[in-house]
Amino acid sequence: MKSRFHITFISILLTVFFIGALAHAGPVRKKLAVKASRIITIAGKDIKNGVILIEDGIIKAVGTDVEIPWDAFVIEAKDRVVMPGFVLAHTSSGLDRANENMPEVPFISTFDSIDPISTFFEDSLRDGVVAMLVLPGNNTLLGGTGTIVKPYGRTVEAMLIKRYTGLKISLRPSQNTSRMGHMQRFRRYMSDLKDYLEEYEQKKADAEDEKKPFDEEIDVTKQPMVDLLNKRLTAFVYCDRAADVPKAIEIKNAYKLDTVLVLAPECYKAAGLIARSKLPVILDSQLVVWETNEQTNEEEMKVVPIIFHKAGVKFAFQTDTSQYGRRYLWYQAATAVKYGMKRQEALKSITLYPAQFIGVDDRLGSIEAGKEATVIFLTGDPLDAQSWVDQVMIAGEIVYERAKDERLKKLLAPPLIMQEPKDTD
Amino acid sequence: MRNCVILLTFLLLVSVFVAPGRAEITAVKAGKILTISSEPVEDGVILIEDGKIAEIGTEIEIPEGAVVVDAAKSVVMPGLVDAGAAAPVRGDLNEQSSEITPTLRISDALDPQSKTLKRVVQTGVTTLFVSPGRRNVIGGLGVVVKPTGKIPRQMIVKDEAALTVVMDLDSTQGNRIPRFQVPADFYYRRPGTRMAIIWMLRKSFFDARRQSDSEQIEDPNLAVLSAVLKDEIPIHVNVRRAITIRAALKVADEYGLNLILQECTEGYKVAGQLAERKIPVVLGPFYYYPGSMGQYREGRKVNWNNAGILAEAGVKVALASGEQSGAIDILTAAVFAVRHGMDRDEALKAITITPAEILGVAGRVGSLEKGKDADIIILSGDPLNVTTRVEKVILNGKTVYKID
Repeated sequence: MKSRFHITFISILLTVFFIGALAHAGPVRKKLAVKASRIITIAGKDIKNGVILIEDGIIKAVGTDVEIPWDAFVIEAKDRVVMPGFVLAHTSSGLDRANENMPEVPFISTFDSIDPISTFFEDSLRDGVVAMLVLPGNNTLLGGTGTIVKPYGRTVEAMLIKRYTGLKISLRPSQNTSRMGHMQRFRRYMSDLKDYLEEYEQKKADAEDEKKPFDEEIDVTKQPMVDLLNKRLTAFVYCDRAADVPKAIEIKNAYKLDTVLVLAPECYKAAGLIARSKLPVILDSQLVVWETNEQTNEEEMKVVPIIFHKAGVKFAFQTDTSQYGRRYLWYQAATAVKYGMKRQEALKSITLYPAQFIGVDDRLGSIEAGKEATVIFLTGDPLDAQSWVDQVMIAGEIVYERAKDERLKKLLAPPLIMQEPKDTD
Repeated sequence: MRNCVILLTFLLLVSVFVAPGRAEITAVKAGKILTISSEPVEDGVILIEDGKIAEIGTEIEIPEGAVVVDAAKSVVMPGLVDAGAAAPVRGDLNEQSSEITPTLRISDALDPQSKTLKRVVQTGVTTLFVSPGRRNVIGGLGVVVKPTGKIPRQMIVKDEAALTVVMDLDSTQGNRIPRFQVPADFYYRRPGTRMAIIWMLRKSFFDARRQSDSEQIEDPNLAVLSAVLKDEIPIHVNVRRAITIRAALKVADEYGLNLILQECTEGYKVAGQLAERKIPVVLGPFYYYPGSMGQYREGRKVNWNNAGILAEAGVKVALASGEQSGAIDILTAAVFAVRHGMDRDEALKAITITPAEILGVAGRVGSLEKGKDADIIILSGDPLNVTTRVEKVILNGKTVYKID
């Protein structure tokens, strides 16, 4: 009798332990169902009171009439708006130093320079960014290759989404060169590269003729530029002035490059040209420009995203921390909406379009079956300044919770002692 | 009889010339009026006569011949008041010949054609306080202006509105202490340390106090300072760090000064003390990392909810754009103040009536009330939304800006 009691007791204990172990079975659950009051899919219309079904971190189904399997873990987000995480198509933040001080360094990579403990990544995650292309800065002619990371992880390897994507070409003259010299330097590099490749091909053909083994590899310092010509890399061409835009297009046509334009604010003057070229565009974080008429000395306000929107250019927004507001992608989109951009387009410009420009739209940028379950939970409308990113899910795993964000609490909470001891008489 | 006819003809003529002037009534039909001074009014009307608000409420008959501004789908609120704005002045704001220049007036340098005024109107600001720059310990006298008028006199709402004092290390910037030769005279050197800034301030007020009882004050500088001591001119003190705020309070105690604190990045640390002494603060400009701004990394312990904490503690808080041009406008400052925890109504007050009170012009601007200046802005939606746009700005009853 006593032993039977023992067995029952032990089995109950084991069961409890087992269930407990299941409940804490690691952060990634096999099957998830997110119930949200509103789902902004970006791919289609918004869904009210919808369900997102997730399996192994991939979205299986989205809609109102999705059947939730019995073994799925249900996340109740009844008062939350769920939308795809924001994508930042171009940044040089989070690096220990953004620019190399030599002009032609296509062979360097931001992968070696990304600092995972930089607060930039922590801030980005808090602000709802789930993927970013980190490229070298705009001071070098051939600046090096970029890395796509998620702002989560303790090492660059853990953060990595895609290595070796995008190569920065800056058309802003560096150091003391003129624009003429800058372009000349680029052309000379490309002509040298052409000679090198011809010589290489010749050697290869000779070896084949002589039936000798050929094992000479392409010079590593030239490899990224070769990959650029082979369209294995995309050129992110920075234009500092409107006059740089035709040169960027000339380069694109001459060498048949995949090109994304990274524009300074003044480049709105070339909006028509850019629209005809059908190139994707990444806007500067400064969205409003005051243009002075040289004759009358009168100022006129130019809203850059509206000019491009009206011209029919697809673009993505950027952020910086120089001013309040600009560091948030939603704020950039809301600013554009304020001046007349269509809401849906503005939302696409911080999710789907940047994902397309950096080539991760197969995984990110919208909530659709087959894409990665990388979504953000907002307390309200994304363009409302009073909404907060409450949770961030990357591939089915909740990686950020506002309730546990100690640094945010510190930034907002009053100090423990507000009344300092008096030291006046 | 003949005299009578002449008189009648004269009266008739006069009435002909006067009549069109009298009919100058503008009626603003608004979907929602945020009066600030009282509860919001739905579907209200504001009557404007002679640049002043003649009538405000719901059941108001619009007189015949009145110019009607239709804002039935919009939100109407008082023109914003920026208690620390970029000055519409060409050239430098800093007089570097001396570090104590209380007699300088920014009103002498106002440029009505300045581009900053046109920009500021578009953000909904209709009253702004501008002051001399921050390189002097005592910079000079600021002025409250409206961004309108062809000559400076038409812009000015209140001259000698406040004396600007800078206790941050800005006033030491660029100063070199002669290291390899004996300094000719210590007193003619600009301050190089915080000690020297406070010493200079203290000495100025000490000199002024010694003379403040005399009938005729010879030194014009001391005349201004003794007016400050007698509370005839308010004193704005630029401080960022808590340590500087405490130093300012100490000097204020010594000389019985009623301070108004500007910028006040670390104000949240001494919120209780400021509330107890009833010292108003003008916050701004706003940066995420004020530490990286400026040479001395002043106020690098930032709390986003500075405004909210101060207001909660009972301090009078105004939000300002700051002296540098290109900073965020005060409507955006209010949006983020609310995001970071400030009460909604407090934030709206912090850009309208509170700065008006701090500047001493609340009798004319800052809220929509009968008898006040007709400074009205029409917004496309809720003022605390980023997607909301300023559609129209009416200043002294005249439309000075509208979007196309």
